Parts: sequence; C-alpha cells; structure tokens
Amino acid sequence: MITFGDVVRRGGGWLPLIGLAGLVGSLGTLALPTVLGHAVDALVAGHGSGSWIVAAGVLIVISVVFDVVDAYAGTACVAGTTAWLRDRVVRHVFAVGPARSSRFETGDLVTRVSGNAVEAAQAGPAVVTTVAAALPPVGSLVLLAWIDPWLALALLAGLALVAGVLRTFALRSAEAMVAYQQTQGTIAARLAESLAGARTIAAAGTVEAEQQRVLTELPRLHEHGIGTWRIMARSSAQATLVGPLVLVAVLATGGIELLRNRITPGELFAASQYAVIGGGLGALTGVFSRLARAKAGVRRVSEVLDTTPVSYGTASLPDGPGALELRSVTVRAADAVLLDDVSLQVPGGCAVAVVGASGAGKSVLAEVAARLRSPDEGEVLLDGVALAELDHAALRAAVGCAFERPVLVGASIGDAVDVGRSVDVRAAARATHAHEFVSRLPEGYATPLAEAPMSGGEYQRLGLARAWPAQRLLVLDDATSSVDMVTEMQIARTLTDDHGGRTRLIVTHRAATAARADLVVWLAEGKVVATGTHDRLWERPEYREVFG
Amino acid sequence: MKREIAFGVAAMPRKPAVALLLWSVPEALPASLSGLAVAHAVDSGFLADRPAVGLGWLALLLVAAGLGAIGSRQVYRLLGGLVEPFRDLLVRKVVGGALGHAVRGKADDGAIARLTHQVEIVRDTYAGLIVVLRGFLVTVIGVVIGMLSVDPVIVALLLPPFLLGLGAFLATLGMAADRFRRSVRADEQLAVTAGAVLAGTRDIAATGAEEHAAAMTKGPIEAQADAERAIATVAAVRSLCLALGGWVPLVVLLVAGPWLVSRGLTAGAVMGGLTYVLIGLQPVLRNLMTAVGGSGLRYAVTLGRILDAAELPSEPEPRAHAGQGDELAVRGLTFAYGPHAEPVLRDLDLVVPPGDHLAIVGPSGIGKSTLAGLLCGLLRPGEGAVLLGGVPVADLPADQLARGRTLIPQEAYVFAGGVWDNLTYLAPDADPERVAHAITAVGADALVARIGGVGATLVPAELSAGERQQVALVRAYLSPAPVVVLDEATCHLDPVAERRAEEAFAERGGTLIVIAHRVSSALRARRVLVLDGTGAAVGDHRTLQETSPLYRDLLGHWNPDRRLEEV
Repeated sequence: MITFGDVVRRGGGWLPLIGLAGLVGSLGTLALPTVLGHAVDALVAGHGSGSWIVAAGVLIVISVVFDVVDAYAGTACVAGTTAWLRDRVVRHVFAVGPARSSRFETGDLVTRVSGNAVEAAQAGPAVVTTVAAALPPVGSLVLLAWIDPWLALALLAGLALVAGVLRTFALRSAEAMVAYQQTQGTIAARLAESLAGARTIAAAGTVEAEQQRVLTELPRLHEHGIGTWRIMARSSAQATLVGPLVLVAVLATGGIELLRNRITPGELFAASQYAVIGGGLGALTGVFSRLARAKAGVRRVSEVLDTTPVSYGTASLPDGPGALELRSVTVRAADAVLLDDVSLQVPGGCAVAVVGASGAGKSVLAEVAARLRSPDEGEVLLDGVALAELDHAALRAAVGCAFERPVLVGASIGDAVDVGRSVDVRAAARATHAHEFVSRLPEGYATPLAEAPMSGGEYQRLGLARAWPAQRLLVLDDATSSVDMVTEMQIARTLTDDHGGRTRLIVTHRAATAARADLVVWLAEGKVVATGTHDRLWERPEYREVFG
Repeated sequence: MKREIAFGVAAMPRKPAVALLLWSVPEALPASLSGLAVAHAVDSGFLADRPAVGLGWLALLLVAAGLGAIGSRQVYRLLGGLVEPFRDLLVRKVVGGALGHAVRGKADDGAIARLTHQVEIVRDTYAGLIVVLRGFLVTVIGVVIGMLSVDPVIVALLLPPFLLGLGAFLATLGMAADRFRRSVRADEQLAVTAGAVLAGTRDIAATGAEEHAAAMTKGPIEAQADAERAIATVAAVRSLCLALGGWVPLVVLLVAGPWLVSRGLTAGAVMGGLTYVLIGLQPVLRNLMTAVGGSGLRYAVTLGRILDAAELPSEPEPRAHAGQGDELAVRGLTFAYGPHAEPVLRDLDLVVPPGDHLAIVGPSGIGKSTLAGLLCGLLRPGEGAVLLGGVPVADLPADQLARGRTLIPQEAYVFAGGVWDNLTYLAPDADPERVAHAITAVGADALVARIGGVGATLVPAELSAGERQQVALVRAYLSPAPVVVLDEATCHLDPVAERRAEEAFAERGGTLIVIAHRVSSALRARRVLVLDGTGAAVGDHRTLQETSPLYRDLLGHWNPDRRLEEV
C-alpha cells in the first residue's frame, strides 16, 4: 500500500528546504521591481539611493542563493525518492508471485519502474513548490491592479490571446503530427520486416535494394515534416506579437499616469517588470500539470504495490522420499474452472507424466505442484506437509520447476543457471546436456546472456539445468519439447538414472515420454480422466487421440 | 561532443542558414529597442510633458514587435528547410546501419527505437538549438547596439560580467555532458535490467531467487540515483553562472548609478539600462543555458549513439570472379564462434558435385545452420575454405554469389508489397509463365489463390509461418542459382507439403542441399551428411545406417514405434 502522502513524506528533510527556497525566491522576484523602482527614483532625485541599492543587492543575493539551493535540492530529493519507489516496486512484484503479477505485462511493469516511479517521486517537490510558483505571476497581477486596475486588465487580455494562440496551435499541430507519425510508422515497419529477413537479404546480396524499399516513404515524411514547421511558423509569429503588445499596453497606460504625476518613473519601471512577470501566469498550468502527473504516477505505482503478496509458512520438511499429494484441488480463473477437484497421490521417487489436450489444465497442475499458484480450494502436500505452510527457503530448495519457454535471468549463462544459490552449475549443465553447447559459446559459462545466440532447445536445457538442484520434486512443464529427440532421450536417461530418487512430474505432449513414466495422469477439461501406465491407457482410442 | 557538433554544422545547407540568420534580425528588434524606447519615452516624452512623443516611442516598440513577428514567421519556415533534410540524413544513417549490421549477422534490437524515437529527439533538439543559438547571437548584438545608442558607458559596465557568466557556463559544459551521458546510460541499464528481471518473475519464483533478482536491479537503481545527484550539482553550478552573467550586470549598474547620474545620465537612460538587462540579456542567457545544457546535451548524446550504431566495420570488398562450374567443395573447414569457444565444426572435408542432392542431419544445436552459413559465404571460416566452382565463396561479391547459390533460411522473409515482387525477389526478370510454373511446382497454388493472385498486395501479418515458407520456396525455385540450400526452410509445412516442395527442387535441376528437419528429408536425398559435434560422416542412407550409430539413433527417434511419424 502506498498513498500520495507516503511519497510526499519520503521527501523528508529536503521538502522544507525546497519550499523555503521557492517561497523566498518568489517573494524576492516580487519585491525586486518595486525596490528597483525606488532606486531609480532616488537616483534621479540624487539622494538616498544608497539604501535602496543595498536592498536590491541583498534581494538579488538571496534569490541567487535560494535559486542554487532549489536547483540542487529538487533533483536530489526526486532522485532519492525514485530509487526508493523503484526498489519497492521490484521487490513487491516478486513478493506477489507470478500468478497474481501476471495481470501486468512485463513492458508495463518496466514502464512503471523506469518511468512512472520518477513521475511519482515528484510528488513532494510538486506540492511544496506549487504555492511558491503561483506567487510571482498572481502577485504581479495584484500589484499591477494596485498601481492601476487598467494595467491588470491589459495583462489579462494579452494572456487570453496567448492561450487562444496556443490552443489553435495544439489542434493544428496534432493533425500534422499524426500524419508525420503514420509515415514514420510505415518506414519503421518496413525496417522491422527487413531486419527479420536479414539472413535472406544477406544471402541474396540485396541490402541496397532493401534500403531503397525501406526509404520509399522518406520524401513523404519530409513533406509532412515541412508541414509541421509551417504551422509552427504561423503560431510563433502570433506569439511573438502578443508579449510586446502586453508590455506596450502597460507602458502606455503607465506613461499617461506618469504624466499626470500619479506615479513616479520608478513605479512605471516596476509596472513594466510586473507585466513581464505576470506573463508567467500562462506557465502556471505547467505547475499544476506537474502535480497531476505526480498523482497519476503514484496511482500507477500503487496499483502494483496494492496487490497482495503470497504468504509463506514457517514449517520445514521432515525426512521423506518426496511424496506428492493433491487433495481436492480446485483452481478458478475469472470465468472458468481450470482444475476441478483434482486428487492425486504420487509416491516418492516416481516419474509421473501429465498428458491431455491443450487447455486441459496440465500447466495449472504443474504450477500448483510447484506452488507458483495457490489452489482456490484443497491443498497440495509434499511428504505430508502442505506447501503453503513451508517456509520460503525450504520450499524452493525442495521443489524445482522447468518450463517450455524458460526465461533466463542473470548477467551470464552461468549466473542464469545459478541464480545466486551457489549450486554446482557445471554438474547441472552436464546432467541436462547443456554443457556441450555452452562450451562452444564465445566465453563458455561467462558468456553474457544477451550475446549467446541460442535455439529453443538450448534455452530449455539451461532452464532444466537451473531446476536440476531441487532436492525432492522436479516439475517439468513441457520442458524438453523443443529439444531434439536424441538429446531428449539422453536427458530422460539421466532423469531415470537419477540416484537422488527425486519425484518427477512431467507435463508432455510426446507419447515416448509418457511411455517411459511410471504413471500417467490423463487430464481433460480440468479433471482427471484416468491414471495408469501408458501401455494400459494406450488401449483407449480417446487416449491415443491426445497425442494427435 | 565535437563530432556531433561538426556533424550538425556540416549538414546545414549554407543558403537557407544565411537566410535564417538574416530573418532573425527583425525578430530581435523588440528586445534591442526595448531599453532605448523606454529611455526616450520617459525622458523626452512622459517626463518632458509630451505624451505624444512618449506614446510615439512606445508605438515604435510595437512596430518593432510587428516586424519581429514577420521575422519569427520566416525563421520557422526556413527552419523546416534546415531540419527536415537533417532528419532525412539521420533516417538514412539509421536504416543503412541497421541493415548493414543485420546482414553481417549482428542482430540490432534497438534499430526501430532509434528510427522512431532517437531520430525525433535529435530532430527536435537540433531545431531547438538553431532557434536559441541564433536568437542569442542576434539579440546580444541588438542589445549591445541599443545600449550603445543609449550611452556607451552602459555597455562597458554590463558586458564584462555578462560575458564572464557566459564563459563560466561554457567551461562547465564538458563536465555537464559527461554527467548527462552517465545518467542516460544508467537509465537504459536500469530499463534493460528491470525488463530482463521482471520478465522472469515466474522463473525467479520457481527458483526462490527473489532476493537475488531484487539485488540485481538494486545496483542499476542506485547507479541511476547517483547519476541524477551528479546532475543536480551541475544544475546548481549553472544557477551560479546565470547569477554571474544575468544578475551581476544589474548590480554593477545600480552601484555605478550615483556616479552615472552625476555624470549626467538621465532617469530614462538608467531605466533603459535596467530594461536591457532584465528583458534582454538575462532572458537570452537563461534560454541559452536551458537549451544548450538540456537540448544541447541530449542532442550530442543521442546523435552520438545514432552515429556509433551506424558505423559499419570496414571490410575489404570481395573482388574474386565467379569460378568454373557449380561444384561445391569444403576443404579442412574449422569454425568457432569465439577465440575461447569449442569449434562448432572441425576440419570438415566434403565435395558436393553439380546435381547432387545432399541432406544434412544431426541433433539440434550441433552446427547445421552454421554449416549452411559457411557454405553460402555468410560466415567466414576460421580455417580451411568453401569453394564454389573452385573459388572461395567468402571472396565472392554478393551479387556474383547470389547468381551461384540461393539460401532459404528457416525464418522466411516476406515483405509488405506486391505478391509478384515477393515471388520474383531473386529473379526480377522472370516472366509470368515461369512464375506460374514455380508456384505450381512447390505447391503454393492454394496460397497464392487465397491471397488474391500474383497481382495482389501481400500483408505479412496475414500469413502463417508455413505460408511464409511457401512464398520463400517459390522465390528460391525461380532463382537463377544452380545451388539451392534449404536451411530447415520447410519446417512449418506439413509432411505432405514438405515432400512436394523438396521433390520440386530435386526436379528443378542443379544442386540441392537440405538441412533436414524431419528424417524424411534424409530418406529422399541421394547422400546424407551426419554431424555429431566432433566429426562428420557422409554416405547414402543404407551405408550410414550400418556405419553411424548416431544416424541410427536419429532414425529411431524420428520414428517412434507407437506413432508412425510422417514419412
């Protein structure tokens, strides 16, 4: 759980400093024109200018000092809060576990960590600087009105004009930008195609023709680009006119007042400066949009942090062979029953194949057995202890899980297999026949993941090696489907000869794999149709159909 | 940073650049005249009891603003003429670099982002820099002229601290650029690490590696925060530079005020001087610092990456001439992916005579595709050579090579465009009859009919992986090359379609080399090459069955007894 207030408070000691710097700076900005005006009057009068000049100097020094403080403190405060938020989000995603965090796409999570966290971290500075930022333009307007109400009115009229110009600009440029981006998208799509076909292009020697093809739309992009500048040209001309117009209006009104001796030359000077500062009223929308962005950022981050984490127990495992038991396990999704009252007993050390058509619930069964998902009803026990009661370390040391599409995480191949557990990486890789191809990579086990071109089967073998150190139960969810038959057979042999005698739960589509298992669990629509040996089940035509 | 600045300047066409500078002059008029107009409006107008004169001077300011607006309009129009060609140049660089790297076998995941995102950053910052820099130049010159016409002594007082502040800012730019670059790198590192780690949430949970994974991201998170703090220092230093260049002139003018007045300077002149600082010098200096310190650094860093990524390794142009005949010969071929890596292929010898039909089999990851790449000249052998007609394929230029052999890889290439263009990619001069024959031969009739015939437009997303392979097969069939290498090019086809395609190529004439996905491909071939990681055996099906245990193993597992696989 996290609220906007939590993020603001995280700013801590920086916030009073930032707030003070902003406030003092703003007051200085407001006071300076008046002081300068008096200084001018005193200069003309020829006496008493000294104290005003000193006052102006002091104001300038103060505003410079606080400007420097503000420039540093704002960024430093946001940097610290951002790091804190990012770390919290990443840790929370892991605490929530794969089943519940899967509603967030990976790219979406990365955006929340890298982008939204920065926006959210602006919360503190945004709150304390809003007042300070609003003060100079609003105050100028008030001071201007105090000198002469017509001056304030002239300023407001000018600002309305600016807003109108900006609005039409936004509308027109949005249209031009859409056309520009569409053309850009076409070019990008063509480049993506060509990159995907790089091997064909390399072999055909057609790289120059491809470049031509990708760039076909470039002249159109050029045209659209020129169009955006034309719109910009018109708006900028209008905008350039408005600023001096406001200034001149204020100066003219003030000049007449000077003539009537109602104001001094100094006051006229002050009025002209207030007109310039008051022009900053338009920028106030920026201040509020910063606040709004911070709020939106906090909301995006808190969506992740509000997800309930998985809870672990405190029990450890008694000695045992790795007997797995499912008791009336039911798993539901939003609108479907994925596993329906499944009960199953697997004696320790056995190899069990789980078969069934696509969507039968095989992977869900594997996830439940590895506690990557918790059943909605029923429980899963390993050597008599419910998985939910096991403590985190005991659970993961006992149970390993390999997947059809493993995602390898780590700096290097070796790191991705070890994942911080200090296990015997080479032994695991040898057992899963990954060692052969890893040793052919440029730097062997030290090869960075990103620089290791690997096939699906090679990925799977590394995923298997990562799961290999599990002490009691290995869950293999279609984990060798892309491995060629010869290698798979060799891996299967290692599994059979596994003297550790671990229990294996093997989800598979291959008849040969099911044939080698001690027991086959046949699933259909979330229910167990039958259990038995492959040979016995093979007599049933519906069973044979499962294998196509 | 020097390279990026030089690149931006060199890319600028001279004529529009000069025109842009000239139109900037009226744009700077309001700022240049502001102090002068104020001084005269007060002194000879409002204070001298002549309101008409005062208003007249202010009207002059308004006229200047009108001229400024016209200038501003022209400046932005001309800006397009500078910026768009620059963007075109960048797009060409990105596309050329990405394709160049891709055909050299280096995957380039960032190319699309570079095209859509980074090019736009450079385009915007380039434009912004041009606007601000010439604005700065023209305004400062205009303000100096204006101050001179009010009173030269003002220039002598105001300009030195202003230039000092500007110099101090420029002196800190190098440091600022380094820190900015560090922050950008930290940002990317964080996004990459977070992406990799968060994509593996399931796998991390399964291995209980939550702490390890959190620690993996902690490093980049902290590095990024440190980089931001370093930038905060730069921001603070920049504020000091602005104080020096923007505020000190004001203080100097005030302090010198009594002396100036005693020298006969009028109230209007003092006000004019102050106005020049507050409306002229201070804002342009602030703009310059924001633009150069922000956009300028973004420009340099982003353009630097685009230029780096576009740089292709210079290789000697292959200059050999095509040899005699179509015999493909492999002599003592050894290949490894790195200096410390085990070789994928070791001392391989092989002769494929013209008209041969060879299947290459072996477990996955054993180097079959690598061999295909070497045979086709896409990879350079570590030792030994691959000769086509007696000439090393690695020495043949791409177009000569394309006439000698065709490679169809597993990932078939189709592009958005005409079906015809896709099919005749390797034989642009093919006549409709030959194309129709090729379509029928490889069994792509149904596909071509479904997508609307050869005259239709092909939408890659609407084709299945198998259909893409059919398009690639027709293409290879039409190619003039006598040697065809199919690298698992039929793996997404069903066994019947695969058989038809392979038979079509066998009847096409010339040499056919098939990297086999199914054992049936080996059974159809005249000869089979078995790769087992340490050596290779070549022979016909019958001989290999007797001599190669691995071949027997492969055969056995391709044909599990219970489930007769599609032969």
